[in-house]
Amino acid sequence: MDVKKAVSGYRRNLTIVVGALLAVFLVLPLIVKTPYIINIFILVFYISTMSMAWNILGGMTGQNSLGLAAYMGIGAYTVCLIVTKLNWNPWVVSILAMLVTGLIAGVIFFPCFILKGPYFTLVSIAFAESMRQFIINSEFFGRASGVGLPFGEDSFLQFRFASKVPYYYAGLIMMVAVYAIMKRIDNTKIGFALKTIREDEDAAAAIGINPTKYKVIAVVISAVIAGFVGFFYASYIRYVDPDLMVQAKSTEFVLPAVVGGAAYVEGPLVGGLIMIPLSEFLRANFARVLPGINMIMYAVVLLVVIRFRPSGILGWYMDSNFKKFIDEKILKKPSLDVLEEYQMMNYESRKGGK
Amino acid sequence: MSEKPVIEVVGLTKRFKGLTAVNDVSFSVRKGGITGMIGPNGAGKSTTFNMICGYYPPTEGKIYYNGEDITNKRAYEYTNMKIARTFQIMKPLKNLTVLDNVIASCYFGHAAAKSREEATERAIEVLKFTGLYEKRHVLSKEMGTPDQKRLEMARALATKPEVLFLDENMAGLNPTETAEAIELIRKINESGVTILLIEHIMQAVVSLCEKVIVLHHGEKIAEGTPEEVMNDPYVMEVYLGTKSEDKKEGE
Ligand SMILES: Nc1ncnc2c1ncn2[C@@H]1O[C@H](COP(=O)(O)OP(=O)(O)O)[C@@H](O)[C@H]1O
Ligand SMILES: [Mg+2]
Repeated sequence: MDVKKAVSGYRRNLTIVVGALLAVFLVLPLIVKTPYIINIFILVFYISTMSMAWNILGGMTGQNSLGLAAYMGIGAYTVCLIVTKLNWNPWVVSILAMLVTGLIAGVIFFPCFILKGPYFTLVSIAFAESMRQFIINSEFFGRASGVGLPFGEDSFLQFRFASKVPYYYAGLIMMVAVYAIMKRIDNTKIGFALKTIREDEDAAAAIGINPTKYKVIAVVISAVIAGFVGFFYASYIRYVDPDLMVQAKSTEFVLPAVVGGAAYVEGPLVGGLIMIPLSEFLRANFARVLPGINMIMYAVVLLVVIRFRPSGILGWYMDSNFKKFIDEKILKKPSLDVLEEYQMMNYESRKGGK
Repeated sequence: MSEKPVIEVVGLTKRFKGLTAVNDVSFSVRKGGITGMIGPNGAGKSTTFNMICGYYPPTEGKIYYNGEDITNKRAYEYTNMKIARTFQIMKPLKNLTVLDNVIASCYFGHAAAKSREEATERAIEVLKFTGLYEKRHVLSKEMGTPDQKRLEMARALATKPEVLFLDENMAGLNPTETAEAIELIRKINESGVTILLIEHIMQAVVSLCEKVIVLHHGEKIAEGTPEEVMNDPYVMEVYLGTKSEDKKEGE
């Protein structure tokens, strides 16, 4: 049938484009061997993942969190402490790290969501800073000097490598996996609940959404992802200290989503891929010339993007002729009506088959 | 005795700081019928709706649904009880398409869809029923008032209610759109949904409602068929009185 043909053609084209993109990332370490460049990509992977964790709150639910670095820190500390003190396997501890961050987030923010609006942002900042202060003042957490992970020979079981390349692939997998989860959430009941809450809490309640419940779910998902990134970070850097949890770090995770387009699941990826290399480029080339000039230039880029594209780069792309061209000429995307018809056709036949 | 009312409120009172917005209001709603609520601006109609629908806790009074006390239920529990509402000040999910607005509704309430496809199928049904199907891919913030009012109704209907509260669903519509809205409400009612509506347009109230409740300064001043209420001397005075006041303000 026509509809089937059109849709499967589009799907095939989309698979080819996405596959090609992935292939580029997969072969990149085979071509580019400079650790410096590989490191920048690792930054892109884990910062974009953090930005996706932010985006489920800031973009999808409309709850502006400015304390995400704290969860990454808690995840990293959990891993470093338990691996060094109890000698557990880091992969096992990564699950524990996610449980710990999820639990802390749920317990802290459940009461705070009874308050609306900016209170959430304020609590998230206060929470991050108090966690950091607590760690700085705790002998158990190694005070200001932090906790390290043991070095040793390469071992997948210990998630420990001398080369950056394995971390590159692990980071890539992590980012793609979290993206897949986010895409799934966006398209299901939870996603609709979160987006409805973002648009209007009263309207959400009117259709049967408990705003507090779903906001807590969003906070916990966000924290769990951040906790896992903390595990990745600790394994890569092999060390964690309280500086990881400063306010500036939390802000750093907001930028990719905002620049890329917080309304889109892809926003943090697009923003991360542009902003992080840019920030590194500016630092490498201008910081020595005039200390701080790189930060100023970065801020200017940011201001320009946000001033002219409040909906981010993807917000621009979605309305652009460029997208039209790509959809029509390259992907051969069928109209929304056709896609809808196809979806319903499948549904009917599955219903009939039962 | 007639059958048990589906909604019954007893001595409902709401005080905001110094202001008594609703004062000791009692009435009942017959299952399967269309009941109207009228009264000048600021009479306390929306506040009454907000209390019945769980948005404001009443200062005093009780709300019963099929005989069960639901005074302390929260707003988000209502669609599970098969009660839905619209808002006087429309609350469309602005950055979502019309279709997504309604899909969101289909996912919740007592008849929550199990899958995206089921939600989409039901949303499309509701959009056809309310005349929004052609506009389903439009962002809801880009639509005019008449369509946003329809969307309010579509979103409520998508939760498959047995009782529907409509707060000024025809305000701002022209005569043709009003006639269409009246038809739509009648159709909804005929499909078995009990309706309680707040309306200013008398034509709509007269043609739809079997019973009308009149509020003024937060108090119930009359109750009866549209005819009885219109001929009530106090109601006439209130309405004529406010009409001449409105004129003065306009001048
Ligand atoms: N949340 C609120 N806080 C304070 N006063 C309110 C609130 N909601 C309504 N009021 C007041 O209660 C009175 C009744 O308002 P409302 O129920 O909206 O009237 P109606 O819907 O009949 O026009 C008005 O004087 C209004 O200003
Ligand atoms: Mg009102």
